[in-house]
Amino acid sequence: MMRILTGNEAIAQAVKLSKVKVSAIYPITPQTGIIEELARLKSEGEIDAEIIRVESEHSAMAATLGAALAGVRVFTATGSQGLFYMHEMVWWTAGTRIPVVMVVGSRALGPPWNLWNEHTDFMNERDSGWLMAYASTPQEAFDLVVQAFRISEDDRVFLPMMVGMDGFILSHSKTNVYLPTQEEVDSFLPPRRQPYIIDPQEAVGMGNIFPPLEYMKLRQSIDSSIKSSVEVIKEVGIEYNKKVSPIINYSTLNTTYRLEDADYAVVLMGAWAGDAMEAIDELRRKGINIGLLRIRYVRPWADDEVISALKDKKAVLVVDRAASLGRAGPLYMEVASTTHLDQMENVITGIGGVSIGKEEFIKMFSEFVEEAKRGKANGVKWFYPQEVEKVELRVPKDLE
Amino acid sequence: MSGTSACPGCPENMAMRMLGMGLGKDIALIVVAGCSSVIQGLAPKNSYNYPVVNIAFAAGPATASGMARAYKARNRNVVPVVWAGDGGTADIGFASLSGAAERNEDIIYVVVDNEAYMNTGGHKSGSTPLGAYTLTTPEGKKQNKKNLPFIMIEHNIPYVATASVGYPHDYIEKLRKAKQISGFRYIHVLTPDPYGWMFDPSRTAEVAKLAVQTCYWPLFEYENGKLKISDESLHCLDKRTRRPLRDFLSVQGRFKRITEEEVKMLENYIDSLWEKLMKLYENQS
Ligand SMILES: Cc1ncc(C[n+]2csc(CCOP(=O)(O)OP(=O)(O)O)c2C)c(N)n1
Ligand code: SF4
Ligand SMILES: [Mg+2]
Repeated sequence: MMRILTGNEAIAQAVKLSKVKVSAIYPITPQTGIIEELARLKSEGEIDAEIIRVESEHSAMAATLGAALAGVRVFTATGSQGLFYMHEMVWWTAGTRIPVVMVVGSRALGPPWNLWNEHTDFMNERDSGWLMAYASTPQEAFDLVVQAFRISEDDRVFLPMMVGMDGFILSHSKTNVYLPTQEEVDSFLPPRRQPYIIDPQEAVGMGNIFPPLEYMKLRQSIDSSIKSSVEVIKEVGIEYNKKVSPIINYSTLNTTYRLEDADYAVVLMGAWAGDAMEAIDELRRKGINIGLLRIRYVRPWADDEVISALKDKKAVLVVDRAASLGRAGPLYMEVASTTHLDQMENVITGIGGVSIGKEEFIKMFSEFVEEAKRGKANGVKWFYPQEVEKVELRVPKDLE
Repeated sequence: MSGTSACPGCPENMAMRMLGMGLGKDIALIVVAGCSSVIQGLAPKNSYNYPVVNIAFAAGPATASGMARAYKARNRNVVPVVWAGDGGTADIGFASLSGAAERNEDIIYVVVDNEAYMNTGGHKSGSTPLGAYTLTTPEGKKQNKKNLPFIMIEHNIPYVATASVGYPHDYIEKLRKAKQISGFRYIHVLTPDPYGWMFDPSRTAEVAKLAVQTCYWPLFEYENGKLKISDESLHCLDKRTRRPLRDFLSVQGRFKRITEEEVKMLENYIDSLWEKLMKLYENQS
């Protein structure tokens, strides 16, 4: 059934269809719509999940993990300050190997307060031991949440998984979303599976002190499970296309657009891929041979896909909506550690909700291609749309 | 490696042994960071005879909340029991505790109060008393102990009780009672620590008794809005029958350099504690 839904509403439907049993909720813009919708579905008897209205995001993840440890399918959502407040429990959860699914509605971090979109919060968790997918449409957010339960509960994986989406751009915009039937989802998503359950009947414990060698082995086992989850994700994706919805192709982790015959490649993730594709169409009409690699999975990182997509390109431009301040964009650092081309450039832009659309991409991509032709497409730069190029910022020194 | 890695005379270990006598089976322990994370021994073995979830310092009550909801969803009759130190309770875990109590989650919360962050080596917590030396208050703490049991009473939960490892029967009885009740249950056990309080490890139980006899640590239960002073503390209702506070202070090295004025302040603290208790007590009859 097609419905006109926001990203937040679509995700609440995915939670419902996935038969989540416990969800701990805490408000923060832009994901608040998800938890409001879950509370509404509960009060109207449409879901039978226990809803725990916790007092913080630290507790949201703790309660979600507690419920998962005690044997049921769980869900929570947060973003920005909330994700950072939760950070300790995000890591703790990965260490337990217990499947948990979370949505991150991306948003910048203060100070100063900023409610708008960027990817820094999401990217900050990439060392945590979670699987991490990032959506580019509400439809994809829906699909990835349903798949996240299946992937994280696969015994070859048994790790938590987070699905990111751009705040406002996806969370608040209404689009057509295909909602499968309960039967379709049931045929794809088996009942809850997990490596162990905390219950007096099972007599297992979790988390007391490991000696260094055992600890290190445990960390490595998480590392290898993430790496080998690449195959599981493809398998699950193909099955999702068959049993639930064929709309978006999930047979690969990442996707490409007009890339195969391109000389120049752009790499990015998230909602602005739509604008980037329009810009690419426009540049192609002008005879510029450019294409797109859209990253959908940050963890696992599909080395093979990235290498084969980029290996024969003359130059690569990675566009980050996040920055490791003083260094480069995190996506760029991932790509640069995967493939080694003579020309690899990084643009950091869209920070704190700075709006980047088709026109800005056309300008940015054209400049990149010009530089590449001169053999100069390297380094990291911050890109501003024309109208803010002249903004002058005062630094603390100016106040002396 | 098996067995416990507690120090000799460890009060938390004593309180843990008694926990089993009071709560029996069908519980799952949630242990937050603290000495009790270490005492249980190295994985994969565990000296606690229960399924144990070790969890981050501030996360106990929320984790237990999630577990309680999941057991309910699975129709399992299992009580999550949080086990936390005074630092984990009065300080870093306080929001989580207060939130779970306000939601009246179906869990038991046991705090083992040795009045300092002992696992990190003996540092001041919100539950450290005035005048006490710790490594972060070398000049002696200047503020009174946070009154956690009263704060929990103000959360309108079904059961709040205090206990002392010096009086095992009373503590075990309170655990038994808590197990029969549903909703949020809070049990605060005083666990005098030979290393933080600086007394001989053979005297743990004795110091735990002195705390009660001098009325520094009142034993009571608060159930369904009714306060009951436990037998061991009834003598405190009359100021004349209280054992002098000095008897409690003088056996501990941490009060070695306490001033006369500070002793007076501690005595006033105890008086006001009992005034509040008596008010609660009288208002109900
Ligand atoms: C977030 C966080 N901060 C600090 C610590 C370090 N830490 C571990 S145990 C502990 C003190 C525990 O004190 P208390 O709760 O009184 O328990 P006790 O050790 O006295 O039993 C501290 C500060 C930690 N584990 N986690
Ligand atoms: S420091 Fe105190 S509480 Fe910690 S193990 Fe030693 S005796 Fe027990
Ligand atoms: Mg302590």
